[in-house]
Amino acid sequence: MNNTAEKVAPFEIPPINLPKPTDSITHYQIQQFLHLDAYLLDHNMLAEWLNILAPDLRYFVPIRQTRERKDRDKEFSTKLGHMDDNFQSIAMRVHRLVNTGTAWSEDPASRVRRFVTNVSVWETDVLGEYDVTSYLLLTRNRFYQDDYHLLSAERIDRIRRKGESFELVSREVRMDQSVLGMPNLAIFL
Amino acid sequence: MLNKSTPTLRDGTRIEDLFNLETREVSLSTMYDPEIHQIEMEKIFTKVWLLLGHASEIPKSGDYVVRYMGQDEVIVSRDRKDEIHVSLNVCPHRGMHVCTAESGNAQVHKCIYHGWAFRPDGSFVGAPLEKEKMHGEIYPKEKLGLKKARVQLFHGLIFATWNQEAAPLEDQLGDMKFYYDIMFGKTHGGMEVLGAPQRLTIPANWKTAGEQAACDGFHTLTLHRSQFDIGNFGNISDTMDEFIPIMQGVNVAQKGNALRCISAATTFTSLIGSGEDFSKLSDLEKITKLPPPGIVTEQLLAEMKERLSPEQIHVCSVAPPQVGNMFPNVNLLFIYAPLPDGTLGSGYVIHTINPMGADKFQWITWFLCEKDTPEEIKDIIRAVAVQTGGTSGLIEQDDSDTWPHMTIAAKGAWGRTETLKYQAIGGENRPEGWPDKAHVYAGLSKDDAQWHWWLQYHELMTQ
Repeated sequence: MNNTAEKVAPFEIPPINLPKPTDSITHYQIQQFLHLDAYLLDHNMLAEWLNILAPDLRYFVPIRQTRERKDRDKEFSTKLGHMDDNFQSIAMRVHRLVNTGTAWSEDPASRVRRFVTNVSVWETDVLGEYDVTSYLLLTRNRFYQDDYHLLSAERIDRIRRKGESFELVSREVRMDQSVLGMPNLAIFL
Repeated sequence: MLNKSTPTLRDGTRIEDLFNLETREVSLSTMYDPEIHQIEMEKIFTKVWLLLGHASEIPKSGDYVVRYMGQDEVIVSRDRKDEIHVSLNVCPHRGMHVCTAESGNAQVHKCIYHGWAFRPDGSFVGAPLEKEKMHGEIYPKEKLGLKKARVQLFHGLIFATWNQEAAPLEDQLGDMKFYYDIMFGKTHGGMEVLGAPQRLTIPANWKTAGEQAACDGFHTLTLHRSQFDIGNFGNISDTMDEFIPIMQGVNVAQKGNALRCISAATTFTSLIGSGEDFSKLSDLEKITKLPPPGIVTEQLLAEMKERLSPEQIHVCSVAPPQVGNMFPNVNLLFIYAPLPDGTLGSGYVIHTINPMGADKFQWITWFLCEKDTPEEIKDIIRAVAVQTGGTSGLIEQDDSDTWPHMTIAAKGAWGRTETLKYQAIGGENRPEGWPDKAHVYAGLSKDDAQWHWWLQYHELMTQ
């Protein structure tokens, strides 16, 4: 059927200006990589998780503020975050959690589940590196609570091919809350 | 005390009965009881000066942020005359929030409901349909502005109070101002924020964090034990003993304000430790070898030497003020932090603890530095401070997970009858040469300074 009807709108509709997604095989592989990432974290395999992080990692959870629509480009801080880490500082966090027995913020450990969806993968200027966005819904249950701390976010990752698999080069987690609804981020997102 | 009229709870308990001043105990029921909470809102949070932020957050005319005084939202804004104002974020017309964004820039704040408009100083501009007198003729325009709080700046920190009769902020700080001047007034350029603050909600009574901020030294050894285990507080043997560097120093307190001045000699030994005998150095040599946190360049050090009195320099050389509070709900953490390259970094972390009901508070965390810190060092400070304090900070994430437990414990019929005990008493002890400012407790950090927090709370609550 040939629909020739014109769209009527009170303003000119701009085109969708997004780069072309990558091929379906790469997309699938990267999705599997994100599942591995979530699996390792959800199962408290934190030391093992370090394997999939790049040595030049940048891990950033920017501060968000509620701003007027005209100021939306200022919603996220480009400088200050709830987390601002490199590989070395992430490794220190993991060391504290895994090896001390005194990291009380996660001992007893929270029960965390990371639901990762809406994965988009784009090619970059660098061969073998991809820009990847995904949606995260994280549930965190602790002690005897009968409810969950929830955290939803968009993750903007840079992911690099490494041998048969991949490594995480950078992750920016854009949380949907301007005021975080859990007492700390002693977990990874 | 007995003659004082003291508020009484519905079950007949007097506020006075929640304390045993002789044995230094406080009823755990204070950590939840909603009735007590209401009395606090009235007797403390509408009476005292409260910290709302830093002037560098709103550098330009019209800049504003929305903050809290108790559970009241307020607009903190800068006007064209460069003055900072604090106004209740409630439209005097029909009670709508005037600002719905959390920060921005506006010379006119127009309520989205009926359009009443206000200037950054809170004054009423007008309502729509001026000729039709939507705002009526009963009150003149001067009476239709936003409710205004009194504002006072202290080294760029913005304080406000609803109490028109309150003495100036200096009175609330008392002799502790001497030490706060060291912390906040060391350089010509003053401090600036490293970005908008972190905010998170903690399901706990505000006092769990409030009283801890006032020199709870002992929790460092256990709650923050992992910091020793990973070497961030210097390495120690398995035995926790009185020689642990971070426990040594001079605690000072007055009017509910308390600070831990941590021994420079032990910091020097544990974090720099070149084998040099620190104690043989002069005051100026000491602060040159080990400047207080935040003094990261020679220029800043020179300014500090110029600005501080010899007594204040002496304090910095013996034990710079690093950790503590400002009554009632400010927490200060000026830290040394080992950097990845092995050198000594530092950062300023300031929190406010904003009650959102008896079992919930919003924790606001600002990260600051001296304004004239080189940009590349600011970047390092920013990352290291965020890794140490606040939401994900390796130190503070353990604190915020503890406070909810105490609040839940205080809800139990039996739990609420337990008491908080501040019985590790060292007694006043002023080292030779230490200035006679506030109550001084030298040696291992004990409960003396922290008890002052409750004495101030007690005084305000029983008035």
